This record gives sequence, structure tokens and C-alpha cells, in this order.
Amino acid sequence: METGVRFDAAVARRYDVPGPRYTSYPTALQFSESIGEGDYLRAARASNDDPIPRPLSIYVHVPFCTSPCFYCGCTRVITRDRMAGARYLSRLQREIESQARLFDRDRIVEQLHLGGGTPTFLSDAELAELMGFIRHGFTLRDDDLREYSIEVDPRTVDESRLAAIAAMGFNRISLGVQDFDPDVQKAINRIQPREGVLAVISAARRQGFRSVAVDLIYGLPRQTEAGFARTLEQVIAARPDRVAAYSYAHLPQSFKAQKRIKAEDLCAPEVKLALLGITIDALTAAGYVYIGMDHFALPNDELAAALADGSLQRNFQGYSTRAGLDLVGLGMSAIGQVGDLYVQNHRLLDDWAAALDAGRLPIWRGHRLTREDRIRRAVIRALMCRGELDLREFGERFELDFRSHFATELDRLVPLEEDGLIEIAPSRLHVTPLGRLLVRAIAMQFDAYLGRQSSRETRHHSRII
Amino acid sequence: MSGTATLSPLNLYQLRRTCGTCSLSELCLPMGLLRSDMQRLEELITPRGPLNEGEHLFRIGDPLRVLYAVRGGFFKSYLVEPSGREQVLGFHLPGELIGLDAIWPEKHQCNAVALNTASVCELPYAQITDLSRQVPGLQHSMLRLLSKELALSHALAGDFSAEERIAGLLLSLSSRMKARGYSETQLTLSMSRRDIANYLRLATETVSRVFARFEQDGLVNVDRREVTLRDMEKLGKLGRCLSIE
Repeated sequence: METGVRFDAAVARRYDVPGPRYTSYPTALQFSESIGEGDYLRAARASNDDPIPRPLSIYVHVPFCTSPCFYCGCTRVITRDRMAGARYLSRLQREIESQARLFDRDRIVEQLHLGGGTPTFLSDAELAELMGFIRHGFTLRDDDLREYSIEVDPRTVDESRLAAIAAMGFNRISLGVQDFDPDVQKAINRIQPREGVLAVISAARRQGFRSVAVDLIYGLPRQTEAGFARTLEQVIAARPDRVAAYSYAHLPQSFKAQKRIKAEDLCAPEVKLALLGITIDALTAAGYVYIGMDHFALPNDELAAALADGSLQRNFQGYSTRAGLDLVGLGMSAIGQVGDLYVQNHRLLDDWAAALDAGRLPIWRGHRLTREDRIRRAVIRALMCRGELDLREFGERFELDFRSHFATELDRLVPLEEDGLIEIAPSRLHVTPLGRLLVRAIAMQFDAYLGRQSSRETRHHSRII
Repeated sequence: MSGTATLSPLNLYQLRRTCGTCSLSELCLPMGLLRSDMQRLEELITPRGPLNEGEHLFRIGDPLRVLYAVRGGFFKSYLVEPSGREQVLGFHLPGELIGLDAIWPEKHQCNAVALNTASVCELPYAQITDLSRQVPGLQHSMLRLLSKELALSHALAGDFSAEERIAGLLLSLSSRMKARGYSETQLTLSMSRRDIANYLRLATETVSRVFARFEQDGLVNVDRREVTLRDMEKLGKLGRCLSIE
């Protein structure tokens, strides 16, 4: 298993094109409104019928934020109206009840994730109520094997809130840090002094969270190498179990808030590349293992172990150790997956609410995986999670000849091989340490839908670097 | 079951119009009949299908008009208790007869539903009984099939553990598939775990727990509906209880 990573600015610049993040294949851009509630109900009921039904993963989207961070591309609703949370919660309850009826109670919820928006926009009482609804309808686990995580805005919590969140059953938190540089924080409209964030990290440890993750973003307006290096140093000193360093995607046509970022404040491409370089250097020098894409973890974290033993997975939450779960998506814009069916809830709050008020599941669109989709998804997952693909084994698994099935794709990989991103041996593909960083560019060669997308659609993808 | 693709009703229909050329005849009613007798039987038989998944062949109370021989696909027979609860009586593979329990009192005593795309041969009951008076082999064949059904329901009534019951079902499916020329170790379960549980008189969760334990112990591999039997010897020891071959 390849676990090293190598950064080469010249090569990275060549491959810095917009591309999907492949938290799913096909990506949500392929979802179509021809898939609806009926398809989902059938798939969910059928998913109980296997001799060993898949365990469950639950994602709840809490879309509210009190103020807009200018970089953000998430589906969210900016409001200071605290009642918005209560109204949302009462509809979520209905959605949870309808969804819970579809799944047999012996299907344990192995993973649970609250994302946003800002999940901690909800009060402790509201969060506890939400967890109560979920616990009432689904079977949660209480042992250490559960992966129940919540995204926390450090500005919204103190130690007593963290204690309450831990008591609800969460054992992992991720904190949006982005950058400690006050200049950058001002430019992105997210002022959160370093001391406060570091205090939240130590409080989380005291409250027994098994895993603390920190999100950083490089390429933000007014970011400098010196400033970001200081942020990295301070984050590393706090030893979070996982660090994600995301590339800022400036797509103001798609994300309104980004229009408020001044063009002259944006990082020059060279600076952005340099920021990625120092991020990789600082984290790996401090002992963090490069997991893939934008993710790093301490060597004793289970992601690092999963990377080493080849069991690493990729799903809507990014990298994961758990395979073969059915995903129940709850809340506005949430994505679910049951067997071969992807579905996504309405992206607008009013549409989502109206469907629930009419007694329907708020499903907007979806996609049913074809055999070809499953084959390509398996290739992309192997490359992104294991960096390795045994052509013969793969061919046997899907009853095909890899080299003839993917003749065009293998041709397209030749220039990437020449640039040292991938090795194409007669019987296997191997992603090099240089290629691991640019693995999206490799994965894109196997994406059957990319060629057919309009330029308007490709604008939705962030750049690779 | 494994290989149903090659066993699709259309395919079979093209391959075979008569019992004499049917690959299932050695398992089905014509078993052991003389060529000339088989031809007399063939004249009575009408093929029917395809039936879609979920389509019923007959329901409780329907008058007995014909018996059915499964040609392709998989059927489930079941009762509905007054409480509305289903009780699964059996799973029926190609070459097996359905409707035998309707002989007395000439009304169907259960429902029969296709679990996937299926097809059958209709055997008009009155004419078959007439014929069996003249053809002793046919009468014997009917009794043999009836007796097998009885033995299986006796076996199910026994006091066996969940492990023994599930191993027994897997072995029974495996040997029936083998007799039909398919792999005895690669099974595709057409029935839901709820049906399996109901048939074996187990809780649904127990079925999954036992499958998971079997998988952990290396007895089987389970990938959704695909079950690979990996240790026939151990399964054989466990599953003797339901073996009536």
C-alpha cells in the first residue's frame, strides 16, 4: 500500500483543472428528477430483504447559519431567527418518522453525521430533541464502535455545550478553523480568535470525544504563506486526530456569498500552490499520515490503519473506514443511498417543507446505478482509497476484461503516466506518491459522464488544487 | 437461484415444448414414465407464462382446476392467518409441483406467488387423475411428490436450532439446484429474509444473526442475495435435520 505523498508544483499546476470530488460516482450532477419517492420507498423496503441487510448511516443536514462565511459553498440558510430551528425540527421529526418506518429495527446505525450549515445553530435542547427522534425511530449503538459526529462552529460552543453534545451520543467532532490569520478571517467574514478555538479542542478532549477533526482551507483571500504556516503550527500543536485541508473553490456564479470576496484579495495561483506545499510538508513532518485528497490523520487514527490495510472507503462524508452501509439522508438537500439508488432531498427550504407538509418524503431527484456505473465507481474507489488496482482480480469480480473494457481510459492515462502520476503495469495500476495528491485527475479519466457535461456544469466543480 | 438467467421462461419455452425434451422431466411428474405414456401426458399440458414477480398463480379458495409444474423461476406458497400474518409453506423450484394440497377438498388451501419472473406448465387435474388410473407410473409419481412434501413439513415441525434450520434450508436448495444442473455452492436467494424466517419459524433478526455467524465461521460467504457455500461438510452436519433426499 502506497502511503507516501509527493508535491511537485510544476506538475500540480498542469493538473489544476475543475473536477469532481467523487464522494459519490456518478456525482450529484447526474441526478435526475425522473427518480422520486416511489423509487426510494421500493428500494428502502427491498433493502430489508437481504439475508444480512446492510447497517445504516444517517446524515442530517442543519442548514442554518447566523452569518455568511464568504467562502462557503454549502447549501445553507442565513438567519438570526432562532424560531427557524424549531420549525425545521418539527418537520425533521416527520421526515425521521417516515424514513424510520422503512427500515427494520435490527439494522444498526453505525454512522451518524450532523452537518450544515451549522448544526450547533440548534440549541442543546433542540439537538437533544433531534437525537431523541432519531433514537426513537432507529437503533443506535452505545459502544465505542459507533461513529457519531457533528460539525461544530467553535464560535457557538463552550465546554458545557460540548458536554451536552457528548451526552447525546456524539463521540466525534469536526471544527471549522480555516485559518487563524485575523486578516484572512476578516476577509472571509468569519472572526474566531485562535485562543477560543484551541480552548474548544482541549474541552472536547476533556469531554471524552474519541476524535477531534479540524478543517482548514487554503487559497482563501489575503492568505499568505507565513500566516498559514503559523496556523498550521498552532493546529499541529493541538494534535487533532484528523486534519482536512480543503482547496478554496472560487465559483461566485454558483455561490452568491463568494461575490463578496474582493477579486484583488484572492490568492495568486502560485501562492495557492505554495500553500498546499507547506500544508503537506508541515503535516507530514509532524507525523500526520496523508490519507488522500485533502485528508490527513494521526498514525493511530483508524483512517490511517484503514489506509495501511487497504480497507479505506470513500462516501459522502469523505474518507471512512466503514463499507457497505445504506445512507439515510435527512433534512433539506441531504443525499441518501440505498443499495443502487441515490436520492437527494429538495435543495430549497420551502420545497423541502412543502413536501413534508403534504405528507410526502421530500425527495427531489436521484440516480439508479447501472452496471457500468458500479464498475466505474469501483475503479474510482480503488484508485482513491487504495491507490492500486489489480486488473485481473477486478476483471474476475465484474466478469470483464479490464484492458479491453477500459482501452480508451488506459490510453488517456498515458500522459499522466509520463508525468509520473500513475504506473500502468500489465496486471495493475498503481498511483504514485505524486499521483495521490492529484488522484482526482486520474479518477476523472474513468468518469463516463464528464465528457458530456456542458461548461456550465463543469463550473460547479472545484479545482483540484 | 443461481443461473436463473439461463433458466428464463422464454429460453426454456424455445428449447422445449414437450416433456420428452424438457430437462426437468426427470424431476417432475413424467419421471420414470415410458415414452408412450409421456406423450399422453404431454397432450394434456399447457404452458403458461411469463409471470411477473409478485404475480399469483392461485389464491386460497380458488377451485382446483389444474396442478402446476414450475418451469422457470421461483415460487412461494403461503397462508394468511386470520390475524393477517403470513405463514410461508414452501419455496418451489423448476421441476416441482404446486397445488398438491388442493386435491382434497378440490380447493386451493394456500396462495402461490412468483418470487421472480417465472413460468409454469398447467396440468388439468381431472384429466391427470383419469390418466393416472391407466398409467401406474404416473400415479406413483404423484404419490412420490406428495410424500416428499409431507416429509418436509414433518422435518420442519421438529425441534431444531436456528443454525440447523438455516443450514438445512441452504442444503436443500443446494441439492435441488444441483439436481437441476446448477452450481451447488453458488446460491441466489430469491426469497426475502422475512420469508426465510417465516418458513423456518425463526425471528427475522435471528436469520441474519445466523447468516452473519456462518460467514464469520467460514461456512458461507454472503454478498447481498448471493450466498456461497464454503464448507459443505460442516453445513451438512448441521443441516441433516431438513434433509429428506
